[in-house]
Amino acid sequence: MQRPCFEDFAVGMAIGPVAKGQITTAHIMRWSASVENWHRIHYDQRFATAHDGLPDVLINGSWKQHVLVQLMKDALGPDGWLWKIRFRYQRMDVAGDSITALGEAIATQEVDRLGFVTCRIRLENQRGEISTSGAALGVVKLRDGPDVPYPFVVKPEYRGLALPADA
Amino acid sequence: MPETEDFSAFVGTTIAPKTAPMPLEQDTIRRFVQAIMDADPVYYDEAEARRTRFGAIIAPPLYPVHAFRHPAGAPDPLAAIQRDPDSDGTEGSDAVGFGLPPIPSPFKRMLNGGNEIEFFRCLRVGETAVARPRYADVSVKHGKSGDLLLVVIETAFSTTEGDPLLINRQTLIWR
Repeated sequence: MQRPCFEDFAVGMAIGPVAKGQITTAHIMRWSASVENWHRIHYDQRFATAHDGLPDVLINGSWKQHVLVQLMKDALGPDGWLWKIRFRYQRMDVAGDSITALGEAIATQEVDRLGFVTCRIRLENQRGEISTSGAALGVVKLRDGPDVPYPFVVKPEYRGLALPADA
Repeated sequence: MPETEDFSAFVGTTIAPKTAPMPLEQDTIRRFVQAIMDADPVYYDEAEARRTRFGAIIAPPLYPVHAFRHPAGAPDPLAAIQRDPDSDGTEGSDAVGFGLPPIPSPFKRMLNGGNEIEFFRCLRVGETAVARPRYADVSVKHGKSGDLLLVVIETAFSTTEGDPLLINRQTLIWR
């Protein structure tokens, strides 16, 4: 596993992708069962379409959150920490869509001997449509700096570090 | 809706902390990470996990929001579908509000306005999650297509020992 440090990140750098491939009704059912979410729009096609007027059963928004968390966790590596993440839901994903998480670094900042990397993130389907967008703020160690504390403790010096308001 | 309608009394409303019905089990993590399709060994390989800063098998960072399962012995959540074929299967579940008192309002349709999450540490096998929800903001906005009720639920998750895990700020838009 790669162990990226702050010096490995630069503004404009691609984050990911993490490609999940085609998400079928079986994948959606597996997720719904694993979190015991019995909302029928996620596994009952007749209910989703005839009753709720949806195009098909929906891929859970909660599942999509974890894919974006994984995108950032993997990009920050085993020494980094995903501090903040934001999700905005732009459109539905339905059974049969292929889901890919990706992003780019938009700011890097060193504060108190730690590196902070701000990213724009999104989920795209096979048609290039963005269903979920957002931003994330990760913490990584400097090449010759101290480890990122775990558990992560928010110091007063970090207070000015926020996710971009428009993401 | 009258402009004078004031929901500010709900801001800050909280309830007693809610404790997950059982400690985190390794098999729960297995099913969970198979469903999110993340093969990180820290989620299943004891020896590998011990070599990391986590020191033990952990659940993914955002797992704690799903730790509040249907407790054994509680009423069957699927009974509603047997009574009413139009039931959507969500009866008895409150995965967003964690039991916060509902806000009485004339708005019918709810949209997910997004989440903002801060992470501090991951839940380990054997630990139990606790949720402390509160209404962080409840306000009426006058949008172009009519009035909206904006609700922000802020839920702080910790272990039963009091170690912070994450804070989830969920925005709901009622119209």
